Amino acid sequence: MSATRTIHFTLNGDPVTAQIGTHQHLVEVLQAQGLTGARESCAQGLCGCCTVLVNDVAVSGCLYLAAFADGADVRTIEYAPAGKLDVVQEAFIECGAFQCGYCTPGFILMTRQLLDAHPDPSEDDIRHYLSGNLCRCAAYPEIIKAVKLAAVKRRG
Amino acid sequence: MAPFELAEPHTLSEAIALLNAGDVPVRAIAGGTALMLMMKAGVFQPARLVSLRRVEACHAEITVMPDGGLSIGAMATLSSLARSAAVKQAAPVITQTLKTLSNVRVRNVATIGGHLAHGDPHMDLPPVLTALGAQVRTLSPVGERTRAVADLYTGYYETVLADNELISEVIVPPQSGSLAAYLKITTRAADDWPTLGIAVSLQMEADIVKAARIVVSAATNTPLRLEVAEQTLLGTTLDAVTLLRCGDAAVSSVELAADAHGSAAYKRELLRVYTQRALRQALAVQL
Ligand SMILES: Cc1cc2nc3c(=O)[nH]c(=O)nc-3n(C[C@H](O)[C@H](O)[C@H](O)COP(=O)(O)OP(=O)(O)OC[C@H]3O[C@@H](n4cnc5c(N)ncnc54)[C@H](O)[C@@H]3O)c2cc1C
Ligand code: FES
Ligand code: FES
Repeated sequence: MSATRTIHFTLNGDPVTAQIGTHQHLVEVLQAQGLTGARESCAQGLCGCCTVLVNDVAVSGCLYLAAFADGADVRTIEYAPAGKLDVVQEAFIECGAFQCGYCTPGFILMTRQLLDAHPDPSEDDIRHYLSGNLCRCAAYPEIIKAVKLAAVKRRG
Repeated sequence: MAPFELAEPHTLSEAIALLNAGDVPVRAIAGGTALMLMMKAGVFQPARLVSLRRVEACHAEITVMPDGGLSIGAMATLSSLARSAAVKQAAPVITQTLKTLSNVRVRNVATIGGHLAHGDPHMDLPPVLTALGAQVRTLSPVGERTRAVADLYTGYYETVLADNELISEVIVPPQSGSLAAYLKITTRAADDWPTLGIAVSLQMEADIVKAARIVVSAATNTPLRLEVAEQTLLGTTLDAVTLLRCGDAAVSSVELAADAHGSAAYKRELLRVYTQRALRQALAVQL
């Protein structure tokens, strides 16, 4: 058995075949596919900048072996089936919920997961669910506003 | 991370066979959340990893047993435990503990088997499961064994598990008539690693304590039962004086160690106060 292998997965709706090292994590492999939305920052599962959905489940790409994505449906922030921004992205823009934007893809993906599970989250629910996402620019007050606005828009 | 060979067997017994590799470092990988950190830090460099993600689906099941206890497959994710109605019904303290155990993404991937085998004394479920009297079933070439969670840990990141022994199942005995609580004390975010963890479980009979377990974690090399403190509770109604005495007994019966989350002196005061609070919380659950 070798330390490299070929994996097949669906990436944002399209079938992909990739040659990977078994030791590579998912962010490395996505970046080799030209996708930079999931990015490594803390590299230890704490900050959420590397958030990726694997079979609709949010994972930290920095701690996820790329080999585990073989056969999976993988989605990143680049996934935009309608060709336009969704309500969560609109809400983040309307509330100015970022400065540098490095953490934003992770916050957007986790907010969508949160709203799928809790369509009308309390501020406590929001803080709790997003506690694993760090914004080094500290746009937290605006992020919380954006999540609340997105919830309203979604229930719209 | 350095390259390694990755095996993905389809059964637990094949996985165990693949763990036999002589002198080269070989390890099982379940969710990988703990192992990836160690490999990224260069603390552990495997020659081969044996992934458990393709083993029989039954190893991820959570079921209520006929006696009211819980059977949790080792590959069940922490998220599936957090969502499980069976777990909430049989042992609500587990559901409660999971709320602040790391973040959503880690819980989505981490498994109960990996959680119990890792051996970091800061982890939240080992003290809770010890207080509940839980056991693990393990499988190795020698055969099946049942071990108490309380007996799993021998030191800092050290367990009794042999290199080719895998946890297949966690058994939580029926908790009817017992009250339990876990308090996790953190100094930054609520879901951070604890400065101190304290788990308690009480068997009451008409307001009188018949049996008690008190387990401290995150301040000793392994989760530790505080039997001297437990003794102070037996036959009492958990009145204020008993609680004070129990807190003092907890502190004087154990040597606590400092770490990045707090000094030993600080942890001692936390232990004194939070032992009492945990007992109060367990009682309050009953009301
Ligand atoms: C950002 C972050 C924050 C965290 N915060 C907390 C926290 O607040 N509280 C807390 O308690 N924990 C916390 N953790 C730790 C987390 O609980 C563990 O990483 C996780 O439970 C390990 O499970 P896993 O399936 O990913 O294990 P893996 O990483 O796959 O394996 C861990 C170890 O267990 C072994 N192993 C795996 N499965 C089995 C099995 N079935 N039988 C025998 N051995 C096995 C592996 O060989 C390895 O040695 C945190 C982790 C991260 C990354
Ligand atoms: S880079 Fe993965 S969680 Fe921070
Ligand atoms: S906007 Fe800069 S890190 Fe969040």
